[in-house]
Amino acid sequence: MPDDRAIETHDLSKKYGDRLAVDRLNLTVASKQVHGFLGPNGAGKSTTIKMMVGLLRPTSGSLSILGQGVRGDNPKVRRKLGYMPELPRFPKHLSGEELLDVYGRMYGMSKTERKGRIPELIKMVGLEGRGKDRIGKYSKGMQQRIGIAQALISDPELVILDEPSIGLDPVGMVEVRNMVKDIVKSGTTVFFSSHLLAEVQQVCDHVTVIHLGVMRYSGTLDGISSNVFARRRIVIELEKPVDSVLASLKTLKFATAEANMNTYTLHLDTREDVRAEISRAVTGAGGVIVRMQEEGGGLEDAFLSLVGKEGMA
Amino acid sequence: MAQKNRAGTLAAFLAVLYYEFLWNIRKKKIIAIFIIIFAIATVQLAFAPIADAVANPPQTLQANPTFTFDGIAALTGIFLFLVGVATTMNTVSGEFESGTIVPLLTKPVSKTLVFAGKVVAAVTTLLAAYAFLVAYITVGGTLIYGPQDNLNVVPLGILGLTIGSMVWASIALTLGTLSKNSVLAALGSFGFYIGITIAGALIGSFLGASTILFYAPGMGASGTTGACAGLERGGGQTFSTGTDGLASMLMRWVLNPGQVLNFCGFQFRASGAPTTTLLSSDTFANVAFRDLWVSLVYVAGLLLLSWFAFRRSQIAES
Repeated sequence: MPDDRAIETHDLSKKYGDRLAVDRLNLTVASKQVHGFLGPNGAGKSTTIKMMVGLLRPTSGSLSILGQGVRGDNPKVRRKLGYMPELPRFPKHLSGEELLDVYGRMYGMSKTERKGRIPELIKMVGLEGRGKDRIGKYSKGMQQRIGIAQALISDPELVILDEPSIGLDPVGMVEVRNMVKDIVKSGTTVFFSSHLLAEVQQVCDHVTVIHLGVMRYSGTLDGISSNVFARRRIVIELEKPVDSVLASLKTLKFATAEANMNTYTLHLDTREDVRAEISRAVTGAGGVIVRMQEEGGGLEDAFLSLVGKEGMA
Repeated sequence: MAQKNRAGTLAAFLAVLYYEFLWNIRKKKIIAIFIIIFAIATVQLAFAPIADAVANPPQTLQANPTFTFDGIAALTGIFLFLVGVATTMNTVSGEFESGTIVPLLTKPVSKTLVFAGKVVAAVTTLLAAYAFLVAYITVGGTLIYGPQDNLNVVPLGILGLTIGSMVWASIALTLGTLSKNSVLAALGSFGFYIGITIAGALIGSFLGASTILFYAPGMGASGTTGACAGLERGGGQTFSTGTDGLASMLMRWVLNPGQVLNFCGFQFRASGAPTTTLLSSDTFANVAFRDLWVSLVYVAGLLLLSWFAFRRSQIAES
């Protein structure tokens, strides 16, 4: 396998009883990339990540991390990666510094290395002055921060963050996002799962979209809009409602139409510019257009078309 | 390269051990174990002086050179069970329940090392608890009852208490690993303890010191240094020889290796009272050796099952 691939899966699947949580996932994440793993809740993101870090065994398929196959209990692979679980839970009887110290020992770090690294990380995640407090006394946001710190303790080649901002208030989300940006600056490969498109947009350059265990898209973020057909809408406001206008719009082959008082919405099934045809259909039916506006077609609509509206619930 | 790997493995093992000791030391439960042990030993030490003081007329406290030895030998049954189960009931299941197993198992330490670290920490905790208990009753016994005999075998007593407790601790650990639930582990172990105690008592009542009791965990078969003939057993002392009596047996192995223990059975007749007969005889040395390997086989077998379950475990929820 080429060295520039941090993560590669081949037909990776996971079944829980009869339910297929991940279905033949073929994913490639290049080194030094910030790769978003996007999908609605229950899409199979955490299951995939748990297979990557060895918490779950794949039902079928294969998986490589940093060029090494992950099969069974493989501490060698885990030595090179840092992982922050979704809603991390750490031993409450340890302080933040003790947690980092004990995990640092598990990575084989020397006392000198730990002594240098721990204060640096405590500062980076904004826990200065609270490092000696027991984790049991930490707020949810502080636990997320110490979660990020422990993922970085060994200065790993690959960092996997599972929904790092879930459960945080808007300020906390922005802070976590900034921390991820800082990690990226150091040249580490980051695989970052989220159900929030806006979050992925701000942090990642590549994205994989998963829904119901099936990969729907993988590529650059910009590529979603150009490669995925995102439905556009044209909203027309008439001077006054005219019954025959709706009937006329419904005859158009490239759209479905609906009306609400004097506002008519057309959901387009085409990428063509069809405004002239719509205008002719409206005026031909006796309507007077006071406003015509095109909506949708952006990244959010592309994502919606990939996962369906139910995916955003 | 192999040397580097070995060094890495040792460092990882020591890291897990450190993690476990921090966990054990700060668990209120372990502190409670030490407090209970301290209270029990204090009651043992203070009972005779208080009884003598309140007697009418007040008695003079007699010197008792076997106080420490007898005190260790008396620690059996529910005491060993409670200390053992309290030590391991949430060693593995507690990590699953609290979710701390997720960050732990994603560190570069194999599941086998994590498990080994937990077992070594549990054994060390038990050893420390019993060493504390024995040291306390030895010092206290010497101060209150005068110089103590046979202190050279006291370390064997500590070892016996630890291994005897580990039998119950291994049952709790296995149930906890299989169920991933500390309450189930504790209740299941207690159910097992009650079941095996009742079954042992029934077998003992109907069959006497049957061979099957030599291999059961807990109180095991009762042996006597006296004769079996007649219902009135002639003049000897009675000893429990199960895994719970290991401390007493190991100490006696050194002191009286050749002394014979008789194991008696009952013969029921159509009319009249049953008579007791000799089922088997063995020396203290052989009985102690059998107790030791039976205990170790239980501990090893249960830990093997627990390790296998731990290695196979997957974490779907976190």
